[in-house]
Amino acid sequence: MKKIIFLTLTVLSFTSCLRLDDNLFNPASIKITEYKLDNYTGDLDFRLDVTYQIPDSLIHIFQLSSQAADESKATNIYAIYIGNIDSISSDSVIMYCHGNRDHMDFYWERAKLLANTKTKNRFGVLMIDYRGFGLSEGKPTEKGLYADVDAALKWLKIKGLTNDRLIMYGFSLGSAPATKLSVGDYSMKPAKLLLEAPFASAEVMVQDASGLAMPGIFFTDLQINNAEEIKKVQQPFFWIHGEADDFLNIDTHGAIVYSHYNGIYKEANRIPNAGHGSIPETFGFQNYLNAVGDFITQH
Amino acid sequence: MKKNHSILFCPVAFFCLSIVFSCSPVKYIKPLDKNQHAATISFGGPLIKYGSATIPIPFLVGNYGYGIDSSLTGFASFNITSALFGNFQVELGATKQLLNQKKYIPAVSITPIANIIYRNKEAFKLYPQLAVNAFWEYGKQKNMVYIGLDNWFELAQKRAYEVKQSNHVIFMPTIGHSFTGKKWNFIIEGKIIAPNLSNEKLVVDYETPLKKHGALGVYLGYTRKF
Repeated sequence: MKKIIFLTLTVLSFTSCLRLDDNLFNPASIKITEYKLDNYTGDLDFRLDVTYQIPDSLIHIFQLSSQAADESKATNIYAIYIGNIDSISSDSVIMYCHGNRDHMDFYWERAKLLANTKTKNRFGVLMIDYRGFGLSEGKPTEKGLYADVDAALKWLKIKGLTNDRLIMYGFSLGSAPATKLSVGDYSMKPAKLLLEAPFASAEVMVQDASGLAMPGIFFTDLQINNAEEIKKVQQPFFWIHGEADDFLNIDTHGAIVYSHYNGIYKEANRIPNAGHGSIPETFGFQNYLNAVGDFITQH
Repeated sequence: MKKNHSILFCPVAFFCLSIVFSCSPVKYIKPLDKNQHAATISFGGPLIKYGSATIPIPFLVGNYGYGIDSSLTGFASFNITSALFGNFQVELGATKQLLNQKKYIPAVSITPIANIIYRNKEAFKLYPQLAVNAFWEYGKQKNMVYIGLDNWFELAQKRAYEVKQSNHVIFMPTIGHSFTGKKWNFIIEGKIIAPNLSNEKLVVDYETPLKKHGALGVYLGYTRKF
């Protein structure tokens, strides 16, 4: 009997497959039926005043078809483009990769803010809901993140955007597809990369949480590793992180990513007293926009 | 703002802490009698905020002990929660009673443990542990109150990306009570995990009386002696 119990437990160890991978994603538990944008009444990190308002004629909600190379069928995802679609062939566009929670309504204020970089609607902004987020179909996966952002890049390319006018921006979880698609073999390659509160890797999260140097693979098979991917980035790189970030520690996450960058230009913006979601507000919206805008236009 | 985002990785801490700090109460405060066997099942863990609720980490550990002599018990524990994640985690240790109780002066025991976690050749950890406990038995049933200090030792000098591992000792002040029957014990134990370490700027909200430091762990254990 003892032998059977021991054998069972040993087999259990090597055959069980509980993993934390799905916990990387935190879409809203209550499904939405439409995007409310300015009329959204859920939690927000901050809310902009009317001076940042975008005319309705420049807000476009539409669907994209996303399909990873090894997938047999496509997944419909939702996107919002802020700007004039007809002038994408001559405009510069910020591809905004949002964080892990809820959906595009939650990140609408952030996308809207970026649409005010330098002057209102000087830059187009494209944001998507990854599969499983918001109205997008499917279930979130690491592979899906990359496929979904690539679907957005494909759309921009079809609309006439060229690599030299593509700016990649990733916030928190969005730092993973933003970094990955800056170096990999995808539909487009951005001219610049901006990361807000990026994470280094799932392993650092595990080690931060436990206080010990334990391998991340004990809990997760996630391959996301911005600290390694950033080494391949050659484009100018802008990093902004709150010094009071109590979710992704600036020193164990963002600073590692920043220090691993070996490209042609890098810029660090450590924002005193800013938390994970409050950088634009704590920094000051105009200061934030000036920093982002100066980086995009000058480097 | 932390709540907005941290829900996502609560489970990370949820499980890595369950695995790391699941040492109690599956250890022996007082050694078994000579040649006595005991099997224990233990449940509990650090308290964390999960959404709007505060919950203990539901780790599960099984243990077998044997009284080598009346003052020395050897034991082995198997972490079932860890196994569900595909990790083979065992604790091998021994409890040695150093001093006997003299009225109000407590008995003292010491418990060195090797905590081994193995997943594959690249993912293997050994955490030495050392627990020192003082205990008082009272009443006819010889119920027991104990206080102690559990210590975890991190031997690695570096974390991911060559970052220096700054803390090498995680200590846990412990208090517990054992209800004793002829053939069984029921243990309830509380501990403050790493009260010296800040719990801010982490992906998880730990619940602790010390607010910004450590985590509070609550554990239950049932032992059957035979």
